[in-house]
Amino acid sequence: MTSKQQKAVILSATEIDILQEVMNISFGKASADLADIINIKVLLSVPKVEMLNAGHLPARIAEETSGEQGIYIIEQNYWGKFQGTALLIFPTSFSQNLLELFEENEEASIGMDPGLLERETLLEIGNILIGACIGKISELLKDIISYSPPKIMLSRASNPEIFRNLSENNEPAIFMKTLFKLQEHNLSGYLFLISGQESMAWLKKALNDFLAKFG
Amino acid sequence: MLKKILIVDDSPVARLILKKCLPQDRDFTFLDAGNGQEGVEIFEKENPDLVFMDLTMPVMNGMQALEIIKKKNNNALVIVVTADIQSKSLMEVAKLGALMVLKKPPTQEKAEKAIRKAEEAFSERGSI
Repeated sequence: MTSKQQKAVILSATEIDILQEVMNISFGKASADLADIINIKVLLSVPKVEMLNAGHLPARIAEETSGEQGIYIIEQNYWGKFQGTALLIFPTSFSQNLLELFEENEEASIGMDPGLLERETLLEIGNILIGACIGKISELLKDIISYSPPKIMLSRASNPEIFRNLSENNEPAIFMKTLFKLQEHNLSGYLFLISGQESMAWLKKALNDFLAKFG
Repeated sequence: MLKKILIVDDSPVARLILKKCLPQDRDFTFLDAGNGQEGVEIFEKENPDLVFMDLTMPVMNGMQALEIIKKKNNNALVIVVTADIQSKSLMEVAKLGALMVLKKPPTQEKAEKAIRKAEEAFSERGSI
């Protein structure tokens, strides 16, 4: 074991429970923001938070999103004391249906090139969901966060190579996942948040402070 | 006076936070359930005075559990405590007969207000 690995900070089971609840509250806010725009109820699932070796992240995300015939990946990095990468993943079939929902609500889209419209719509959805979710997490944990511009990628199938940039080392990382569905449309997407060791010591303290403020 | 309170939430931390937000000078007896199905079972067995119900839970969600509990006892006092703040969800729980919605994370002030509202309803309706 290297000295770096010995120093790795690990979240306890209680801290993971607290983070799961923080994620639950935050994605609730994000989905309410999206629902306001498309006027459709977003069905939420129980978020899952785990500690994983960063080297296993690409295979894990590919496994979670396997079985989809083509996926869009919207990636956005966030920086603060809490920092990491957010990935919003939609099956391509989801994006086509989502575009129709958006077009019903967005008169401004009329006349736009369809390819550009699709890309811009997905980036906007990414901005809404990732921004609201990370924004709420940072508010609850008393942090201030800035974001990179979101990037969008299209892949015919999910495979670990697409996510290779997430495994820069073999240190323990936090892997947060939530699955969401649009009611009556049988459409689902995934939001993954990944944070590495650079946030862990701060996060550990922030989670305990969050719980302590309730007395 | 409210005495027996059932808290239904899959998150042990969320249950703990809610208990800490409720008035500490009251001698409440708490019952915990980790999902809607457990919540319904404990409700039938223990007949609590008040239920705090989360919505997003595994096995059986809070919306389904609320519907079952209200069918079993229309006078049941159920306060929904949720992160799902979409207007459609809030309308749905109101339609199912929830007394009110407490948005997550709760605060002491909001939780005390919820207890006062439940006390009023409890004294109007008598024991459920």
